[in-house]
Formats: sequence, structure tokens, C-alpha cells
Amino acid sequence: MEWNRLAAIGCLGAWLGLVASGAAAAPLPTEADLLAVVRSDAAEADKAIACKNLAVKGSAAAVGDLAKLLGNERLASWARIPLEAIPGPEASAALRQAAGSLSGRPLVGVINSIGVRRDKDATEMLAGRLGDADAEVAAAAAAALGKIGTPAAAAVLSKNLAAAGPRLDDVAQGGIVCAERLLAEGNAAAAATLYDTVRTAKVSEQRVAEATRGLILARGKDGIPLLVETLRSPSRRLANIGLFTARELLDGPRSGDVDMALAAEATRLAGTAGGERAALVVNVLADRNADGGASPDLRALVLTWAGSGPQAVRLAALQAAGRIGDASAVEPLLTLATDAAVTDAARAALVALPGDSVDRVVLARMSGASPALMPILLKVVGERRIPAVAQLKPLLAGSDGSVRLATLEALGNVVDLANLGLLVDAVQKPRDAAEGEAAEKALLAACVRMPDREACAARLATAVDAASGDTKIKLLDIVGEVGGTKALATVAAAAKAGNEPLADAATRLLGKWMTADAAPVLLDLAAAPIGEKFQTRAFRGYIRIARQFALPDAERAEMCRKALAAAKEESDRKTILEILPRYPSAATLAVAEEAMKLPALEAEAKAAAEAIRAKLPK
Amino acid sequence: MQASRRKVSRRRALQAGLSAGAAFAVPTIIPSSALGLDGAVAPSERIIVGGIGIGRRGEYDLGCFLEQPDVIFTAIADVKQGRREAVKKIADTKYGTQNCTMHRDFREVLDRKDIDAVLIATGPNWHGLLAMLAAKAGKDIYCEKPCTKNIAETLIHRDTMRRCGTVFQAGTQRRNLPHYAFACELARTGRLGKIKKVFAHPRGMTALLSGWLPEAPLPDPKVDDWDMYLGPAAWRPFNADTLKDGFNFEKGGGFIGGGVPKGGGVLEWGSHCVDLCQWAVNDGPPPVEYHPPQGDQIVCRYADGAELIFREKDWIPLGSCPVRFEGETGWVEAGDSGKLVLSSPELLAGRKIEEIGGYPATFHVRDFLDCVKTRGKPKGNADAACNAHIACHAANIAIYLGRTVKFDNATNMFVGDDEANRLRSEALREPWRL
Repeated sequence: MEWNRLAAIGCLGAWLGLVASGAAAAPLPTEADLLAVVRSDAAEADKAIACKNLAVKGSAAAVGDLAKLLGNERLASWARIPLEAIPGPEASAALRQAAGSLSGRPLVGVINSIGVRRDKDATEMLAGRLGDADAEVAAAAAAALGKIGTPAAAAVLSKNLAAAGPRLDDVAQGGIVCAERLLAEGNAAAAATLYDTVRTAKVSEQRVAEATRGLILARGKDGIPLLVETLRSPSRRLANIGLFTARELLDGPRSGDVDMALAAEATRLAGTAGGERAALVVNVLADRNADGGASPDLRALVLTWAGSGPQAVRLAALQAAGRIGDASAVEPLLTLATDAAVTDAARAALVALPGDSVDRVVLARMSGASPALMPILLKVVGERRIPAVAQLKPLLAGSDGSVRLATLEALGNVVDLANLGLLVDAVQKPRDAAEGEAAEKALLAACVRMPDREACAARLATAVDAASGDTKIKLLDIVGEVGGTKALATVAAAAKAGNEPLADAATRLLGKWMTADAAPVLLDLAAAPIGEKFQTRAFRGYIRIARQFALPDAERAEMCRKALAAAKEESDRKTILEILPRYPSAATLAVAEEAMKLPALEAEAKAAAEAIRAKLPK
Repeated sequence: MQASRRKVSRRRALQAGLSAGAAFAVPTIIPSSALGLDGAVAPSERIIVGGIGIGRRGEYDLGCFLEQPDVIFTAIADVKQGRREAVKKIADTKYGTQNCTMHRDFREVLDRKDIDAVLIATGPNWHGLLAMLAAKAGKDIYCEKPCTKNIAETLIHRDTMRRCGTVFQAGTQRRNLPHYAFACELARTGRLGKIKKVFAHPRGMTALLSGWLPEAPLPDPKVDDWDMYLGPAAWRPFNADTLKDGFNFEKGGGFIGGGVPKGGGVLEWGSHCVDLCQWAVNDGPPPVEYHPPQGDQIVCRYADGAELIFREKDWIPLGSCPVRFEGETGWVEAGDSGKLVLSSPELLAGRKIEEIGGYPATFHVRDFLDCVKTRGKPKGNADAACNAHIACHAANIAIYLGRTVKFDNATNMFVGDDEANRLRSEALREPWRL
């Protein structure tokens, strides 16, 4: 969109042209240039943009001409842009004067601008407008008084709140904004008084909620009783604002008073049915202390709540423990992790606990851990990614099957490339089927997160070479999951190894390979002596890449050309021709036109060529 | 459910493009408290949602809401009759009812006591004001970005959300995607060393006005309500082409900001990319110094000397909305493909980061709904959005004035620059106000 007509006039138009072309440093027109447009009989669009620029360039000299537009329903909104921005008393005075003569929407706009300018001299006029017969005007006046935010404005709003007149909610909105201003300027006592006036007036529950929040914050630590009262409110809106405010209300220096009050309330609420609200308060405590500042008393309480009581509270407390706890929480959380009702949540807390010292405690605890606890500890080691291969390795030789399974899972999360052999060995020599399955999962988990996948694939390739039977195929599957150049070469070699099950697995993997560099490998296999079934599978894998992958036009066309030449079945050739119109380009068109020379394909190739031509730019 | 279909399609595309072995998993993030014993949602746990201004983007967002088992979408307000009817059809088809009510005036939706939350996906002209009116009506809000038109509106928006106790989620859905979150985490937690530079992709830096096209006869307001469409924007005559451009209309305030040829510029993309950069620097105050463009870059400086750099070129091809964070010991770059590039694989520390491409909003919507229940702060909360938007608006002012501007985060004013300060706010068309 452009202001095309403006581009044709004078320096203003020249400036616009420069902006549109990106010359950001182009100078703005002068105030005189802009005023000349405003005063002229220029089109409305020209005057509008001149007004907008006067927001930056205008001075007291522009105010008179701009004020003349305030009654113009089309241009008043444009004129108020500079009138809100121009500093000095002249613009304020012009707006006040206009308010005396306007009505309806233009008057509402002028009052809104007076509010933006926080014109204290308009307080009396606005006070009078609070009783205006036009409800929009009265609401605008209340809002403006709120923005002005002086004690005088507060007095006017308070008086009107007490009067219980119509549209009291608008006055209350102004009152709350006014109180915010007073509080920001250091007048907490006056702010609190005004907030209290609003919350005890006959206004909507939302206004009461807002005023209650403000009053709590204005009172600071003395607002704690009201905060607690609000949290207990049967009204969901008020209880919600209590939760919101509880996150905002700061403690005094290291006093912890707010936290302790909230903790006491959580304890009380935990005794109520379900404990849902207590859980929400516990969440608040976690949020308030997520930066690591929780007191030892609070940490202890959180673990107490986690230990017993309503399930909702226990779960919230465990989540909180994970966020605000420290190494001292490890032992209690391990105990809770053996409680079936909260096992997962306790383990999640152990995983979430911040700090390296937690890792050290967890590892130390493994020594002499009970058979019931060891699998839990191993899960925590794995999920915390504690690099503890040395401690885990001996456990693979232990007699407890559940510990061995858990160790394999943990190793999947923490083993490095140098120790990958631990899992390869476990895949190759499992004690039983369950352990074999666990080892495969662990090896897969480890391999796909290795930062150097080429080195990982090379290590696996060695294992594939050394393995036999099903194990060879399982390892090859993992090679396929790793991907990359070495993996591709390994799978391709397996396809040609003269071992039918291995060729089956390898062509299956290549048929779903995720990168286009498998294409030449597949085309080669399609002609290699690996058996017709696998040749066909390889060829179709090649076609899949041409059909589905993002490729340069020329490369895709060349693949299709080669595929047409290599195809043994008519149905494959037709499938290849169907690819061409999906990627219309000069290159694919050329392939279609070449295919038209083949009698058996002439009709399909002609249709493909026509479809491509229809999609190409004329 | 067109929106949902699009999303599924993107996920499938992602799977096809993934490196082998990279798992695709959708986090289980619906809290058990939100579900009844049989998996159905207890009535008391349902969140009743209304929509305001649901166009193309909004329809996608709506699909994300409708997927959630604890959402009941019950009303649509739109200035366009065609959109009202289209959205009602989507909702009613989903529920097999005729219950979705249609409203030309959004205030009818805000007045409804049964509605807990609103999805705002109007054009950007309305985003800020509508969110504030919804907050004052006691609604929680998911609002598309950019959230505001100028610095003053941004600050009032933040204060209003605080005042009203509103759970507000800006449509900055990348905050709930694991690879972006991980990249920001690396920066925030010092794993890259002291952060020196964060890079955002502005996708357009030039300013553009919002247009005044030739006047055409006003349409029937029951069909297209031009007065409500203009809303807080300064008046201009009806033209059907302007009505079609709601997505960009008055973006960036209409005066400063906007790209060529379709508006938006620094604010349009910055409200995503700068938002992520802000997250990387711990959602702290925005930069204090903004230089005008030099070549294809805008350099801004934080108080601690780190730089926020809007950069058009030289990105690793990781998809749209790229960001890059550089510290003293490492760097990370991420984009909409769902992929990360790291200065060292050691930064992964053994973790596997899920690759979710196509920037779906599902997780962001879920985060919002969870916070509606817990009264917690969603990832794209108003405070975070405030800092990112101020950075974008201030950069736009530097572009507009063609000179360096300095911003004081304590006073929220430009330092010694009257012209820049005059551009902090702009009058709203009557009768609207902030």
C-alpha cells in the first residue's frame, strides 16, 4: 500500500518516495512545509500525513491549525496525533478549549488526548464531565482522571465512587489507574486509600480483584493478611488474583514473611477436600523461589507436603521440590520414589534438582543401595545424564536382572563413544531375550545422540563385520538409524555381501533412507547381482527419492532419465513419468519429451509434458 | 479442520526431512488434573474460549485450540460476516452442535460471563487494544503478534495484564519448541560463556505507511464493518483492498516500521526473533542503544555491552526465523527447520533435542491453557513480550530518524531525544483509548 497521490506533491511527496525506497536517513519535511499542507485546500490524505509528521516536527506554532481539525470527524484522529505529542502548555490548552465546544466522539477523542497528556489543569473540567449525559464522555473523563493520577484527581474519583452513580465501573477503572500512579510516585498511603475505596464500592468483581491486588502491593508486607484472605475467597476470580499477586509480592530483605504466610496457607488448604487450591499455592511458592533463594524451612515444608496428604498437593510439592530443592532433598526423594503413589513424580524431582552436588550425592548413594532402590537410582543417573560409566560398568556383570536392565538403560543415556563397546557387547552376548532387547534399545539411544555420527557408524560397522546371524541384522538396523556417509557405505556393502537375510535388511533400510545420497547406491544395487526381489526394491527406493526428496531440478530430471533407462517394468516407467509434472521445470520437460519417442510411453509422456508446460511460466 | 490438517502435513514433512534416528515425540503436557478418570474432561476443568478476528492465521491457531480436550470454543466475533460464518462452521462441525455464537462487536463476547479466555487473531492494528479490553473484562488471552504498535502501548499493555491478573500468551510459539528453547537455555545458563552477540532476522527494515486508497462506497456494516475494522487506527476512507490487508494494516503503528512491499519489517519478524534473543539474555531489559541500519544490519547494544544485531544475510540455512547466539566460548544457531547448529557437539552434553519443524503452535497453546488453570506465567507472557516489542519499536525509531537513539530502561524514555520520545506513542482514533 502506498500513499500514491502524496508522492506527487512537493517535498512531502519526495520524502515519502525516499522512505518507500528504503532511504531511511532522508530528512523529514520542516514544520513550515507541513503546516502549509494543513492550511491549504489539499486533499484529506495529504493533510492526514502532514498531521502525522507534525507529531515529530510540530511546535506550539502548529497547535492552532491542528486544533481547528478536532471537530472534523475524518481528520480529528490525525490532528490528535501531534496534539498528544507536541510539548508545552499550548497543546493542552487547545484540547481543553476544544472540550468546551465539542460533543460525541470528537469530544471523547479530545478527552482521551487530555488523559494521555496528563493535563492537571483539566481536572476540574473532567470532574464535571463524570456526570455527562453521554456515557462515553463520562467514561473517557474517568479514564483521563486516572491517567492524570494526582491527589486531586484521586479525590474526584473517590467522591464519585462513593456516590454510587451510573457506570461506576468506569470510575473504578480510572481510580485503579490513578492509584497506580500515586504508588509509582511514592505515595503508597494515598494509593492504598484509593484502592480500598474501589474495592469496597459497588463495582464489578473484576474491578474488586484489581483493586485488591493493588491494595496488597501498596501495603507491602502489611498486605499479607489481605493476600491470605483473598486466597481463601470463594470467588474464583478473587482467589485467582490472589495467586497472581502472591507471585508479585516481594519479601522484605531475607525476611521470608510472604513465603511463610503462603506456606502456612498451603498447609491449611492441604487439609481441605482434594487440596487443589493448596497445590496452586505450592506452585506459587515454587515460582517465587525458582532462582534458588528458598529457605531451608520452606524446602523442608515442601518435602513434608510431598510425603503425605492429598495427591494433588503431593504431586505439586514434588514438582516444587525439584525446582527449589538442593542435594539435601535427594535422600527424602529417594524414599518417596519407592512410594507407588508418587514414584514417577519423585523420580522426576530427583532428575530436576539443580546443581552438580546433587549428582555427587546420587552417585554416592549407589554404593550399598538396596535392590529396590538401585533401579531408581540408575534411572536418575541416566536421566540426569551423569557421566558415570565407570560406576555403571561393574553392574552389568551383577546377578540382579532388574539392575542389569536398568544399567543398560542408563548407559544408553550416558555412555560415550569410547565406551560404546559395552553396549555392542551386550547386544552381541545377551544373557536372555529381555536383556538383549534392552541392550538394543540402549545402543540405539546412545548411537543416535553421538555428536560424531561418522565415528559412531564406523564403530558399529566393525561390530557388524564381527557379528553373525540375527545380531548382524540388529546392528545393521542401528547403523541405518545413525545415518551418514559411513553408515550408507556399510549398509550398501551388506546388501552385496551375498547373504540373503542381510541383503533383505540392507535393501529395506536403503528403501527408507532419509537422504538423497542413497540414490546412486540404490541405482547401482538395482543392477547388481543381489537377486531380482532386492533389485526391484532398490530400484523403487531410487524412484522414491526422485519423487519425494527436495532436489535441484536438473538432478531430479537426470534421476528420472536414468530410471527410465533402467526400468524393467512398464508400471515403473509410468510411475517415473508421473513424477515429472510434480516438479515442472525445463529439465523435467526435456525428460518427458525424450520419453515421447518411446512408443510404449508416448501417451503418458505426452500427457506429462503437457502438464509441465501448463505449470511453467509463460 | 483445515488448520489441523496443515499441521499434520508439516509434521510429516518434518519426519521425511529428519536425519536418521532423530526421534519425533510429542511431549505429554496435559496435566492429569485436567482430565477426569476416564480421560474425559471434567466440566469444571473445561476452558471456555471465544475468538476475536479469526482470519487465516487465526484459523490455524483455532485448530490448535480445538485439538485440546479441555477447550470448548463457543463464540466468534469478527467484523467480517464471511469470517464469522466460516469460524462458526469450523467450531460447530467439531462439536456436532450449532452452539458457536456469532458477533460483529467483540464487546458482546467480552461481556459473556461464561467465557474464560479469548483467542485474538485480528490484524495487528487491534492486537494491543483488544488484549487490554479483554483483560479488563477478566478474560485470559492468547494473542497473535505483534502485540503492540508502539512503545507506550507496549508498557500500558504489560501494566494492564499485571493489573488485571491476566494470563497472557503472545503468539510467540517458538518459545515452546524444544530446539529454540535449548538454544536459549545454552545462552542463559552460561554454556556459551558470557554472551557477546545475539542475532535476529528482521526480514525487512524499511518504513512504510499504511495507506490511504481511493474512497469507495461503504459496505453494509453487517457484512463488513469498516468502522470497527479501523478501530483505533486514524481514519481513512473505505477501500476493499485495505480491508483485505488486515494482516498488515497498521503493523508497527503504520508510520514507523513496515517492510517493503508489505509492511511489518523489524516488528513483524522481530516480535519472533528478537523475542528469542531476549529469552537468550534472560528476558532482561531491552537494549539501551540502537543504531540506524548499516548495510543489511541494525546493531543495538545492551547495558552490559552485548549486542542485539538484526541481520538480513549470512544465516546458516536452517529455515525461516533464524536466531544465533554468540558467547565468549561458543555459539548456537537455530531456525524453523527444527534443527540446531552448535559450535561444538559438547554443548549437547549427551542430550537429544527433539527436532520439531514447521513452528507449530500446539505446544504454545497448551502452555497457555495449563497456565489458565494454574495462574502461572506462560512462556510468551506479557513481561517478556514487552521487552522484545520495545526493542523492535526502538529499532524502528532509529530507522525512521536515521540516527542512533539511546533508551533508558528505568524511565522508558529516549535520552535527550525529543523527536524519538514523540514517537513513543500515537493517539488512537476516537472513541478508543488505552
